[in-house]
Amino acid sequence: MTADLVVVEDLQVHFPIRTGALLGRTTGAVRAVDGVSLSIRKGETLGLVGESGSGKTTTGRALLRLVEPTGGRVTFDGVDVLALRGEELRKLRRRMQMVFQDPYSSLNPRRNVANLVGEPLRVHGIASGRALDTRVTELLDLVGLPRNAGARYPHEFSGGQRQRIGLARAVALDPDLVVADEPVSALDVSIQAQILNLLGDLQQRLDLTYLFIAHDLAVVRHVADRIAVMYLGTIVELATAPALVGRPLHPYSRALLSAVPIPDPRVEAVRERIILRGDIPSPAAPPPGCRFHTRCPFRQATRCDTEIPALREVRPGHTVACHWAEEIEAGRIRPAQPAAALAADG
Amino acid sequence: MSIAQAEATELAIERPVSLSRTALVRLRRNPAAIAGAVIVGLFLLMAVAAPLIAPYGPNESVGGLASTPPGPSAQFWFGLDEQGRDLFSRIVFGARLSLLVGFVAVLVGLSLGLLLGALAGWTGGRTDALVMRSMDLVLAIPPFLLAVGIVTLLGPGVLQVMVAIGLVTVPQFARLLRGSVLAQKESDYVLAGRAIGVPSWRLLLSHVLPNAIGPVIVLATLTMATAIIEVAALSFIGLGPADPSLPEWGRMLAENASRLQNAVHLVLFPGFAVVLLVLGINLVGDGLREALDPKLGR
Ligand SMILES: Nc1ncnc2c1ncn2[C@@H]1O[C@H](COP(=O)(O)OP(=O)(O)OP(=O)(O)O)[C@@H](O)[C@H]1O
Ligand code: SF4
Ligand SMILES: [Mg+2]
Repeated sequence: MTADLVVVEDLQVHFPIRTGALLGRTTGAVRAVDGVSLSIRKGETLGLVGESGSGKTTTGRALLRLVEPTGGRVTFDGVDVLALRGEELRKLRRRMQMVFQDPYSSLNPRRNVANLVGEPLRVHGIASGRALDTRVTELLDLVGLPRNAGARYPHEFSGGQRQRIGLARAVALDPDLVVADEPVSALDVSIQAQILNLLGDLQQRLDLTYLFIAHDLAVVRHVADRIAVMYLGTIVELATAPALVGRPLHPYSRALLSAVPIPDPRVEAVRERIILRGDIPSPAAPPPGCRFHTRCPFRQATRCDTEIPALREVRPGHTVACHWAEEIEAGRIRPAQPAAALAADG
Repeated sequence: MSIAQAEATELAIERPVSLSRTALVRLRRNPAAIAGAVIVGLFLLMAVAAPLIAPYGPNESVGGLASTPPGPSAQFWFGLDEQGRDLFSRIVFGARLSLLVGFVAVLVGLSLGLLLGALAGWTGGRTDALVMRSMDLVLAIPPFLLAVGIVTLLGPGVLQVMVAIGLVTVPQFARLLRGSVLAQKESDYVLAGRAIGVPSWRLLLSHVLPNAIGPVIVLATLTMATAIIEVAALSFIGLGPADPSLPEWGRMLAENASRLQNAVHLVLFPGFAVVLLVLGINLVGDGLREALDPKLGR
């Protein structure tokens, strides 16, 4: 169970900023992903969380080569993904799939469900004719859609049902890895649980490994085995879900966690609340030193704004990128202002 | 419809309908579009069944030469021209040429424009830059002047006129389709297609184009209207289809423009035919635009 299915080392995705409409001069780069390293173990769910714009989607897409990484390495089951070209890459696509955030835009509105779900099988020449129909029916069953759904079009379905269609299509090729990019955040809260259950169910039955992307910890803490926290193109903390939720080491993780309400009123009453000031800085010009220093309540006069903190293992299996993680955890470094004041001026 | 509402809707209630079929249903609910379709339909009928509808031949002299041609009467609905030919019959036969020119010109513009637009939008990069720069160059020339230039180059004749008018519209089609393809290219369902390993050309042909083509179809109908005006205009300045025996609305207008004082019907009726057909096509085009817009809901 501990074998790595995916290993990502120093992954970079920089989008060139061009001036002029067509083929203008390159004047800089959006560093959407800037040195991400992580591994995903066979059969686990790795949660990837971070604010909007932190580069989660780009990371997920770069793993699958849906956007071209500008640097780093991605190894999938021992294969160097970034070296693959043309047909080899297309073959590998059978083993890694994606579920999209928006169940409306990710399905071609002009194709019926049977066609959408069967397409992966057709393009890879796996099934055709009667066998294809049978397999499509199986897949619809698997994701809990009625069998007669095949002849219908996406616009006839609700968001939750569409996400089921997207899932059926994603698992049609029996993949090993599924990158689920905020698969429930566009859905009604009442439907989210159903889809999460389905994801869990599919993982069990089909031995799937998930990279589960979300913008907050509310959902991820329940579905992920391990959680990686992303900020401005880099991973700032990675630990098992209980460790990250129970003893977060990075100030940013603490802030994310403090935004999640706790059902127990007694715990809720004394819960630490860190409200971050300002917006996430532009990935085109990330702050020097620790990227979080412009918003970090624990920021110190030294090192924070000059020295980039390395991702280091502070406890076994718990890595963090903060110069002062130990001191903060031990309570030797306090937030610069009381949380209430932070909240007031934010 | 909200997600919750939709979730509550029982699947079995709705019959499966394709998007193109919903577009047709929407078109049928649009009275202006229906009126347009009826007008265009009547002109089509006129063109196809001209010998049956027209009481006389287009070049048949039924009244003899007259310096002041007689106006509408019970026998000659639209009156006669200076050569004694029945104007109604000439206009009925003229529908053939106008519709043919409109159709072929659009076909020329559409097919070349689709090819270039799809290539530019889908490939991107240098190809895109090259194609679109050349389209900009062509667009910088006033379209009618360009058509005149091409006709002068190709020589007179029905085919030449149709090709000239069609070529002029290529950049518009290319531009529109390129933009449309670019928008689709970034969409999630295209990404989803790539994720499951659909080959690029197949993604373009079977996913992107069907979704990108809507606005282009609308432009095609509107262009057809313009083409009909342009062929009339080319005829008007003497660059129309060479064969003088072909009844052409634009030429009828041109030949009789000087008779506005003593035989207003000779200008009125051909002009009216052009305007009515163009109006009909435009109404259908506008209806299509609305019907094909997925944002307008069902
Ligand atoms: N194709 C692109 N071209 C240029 N910039 C891009 C592109 N795609 C993403 N970006 C930029 O990269 C940064 C990271 O985007 P990304 O979508 O990966 O973030 P995210 O963490 O998924 O955010 P969200 O929660 O909003 O989905 C953003 O600043 C975004 O504007
Ligand atoms: S390195 Fe400094 S600024 Fe960065 S998270 Fe740690 S304390 Fe905050
Ligand atoms: Mg995202």
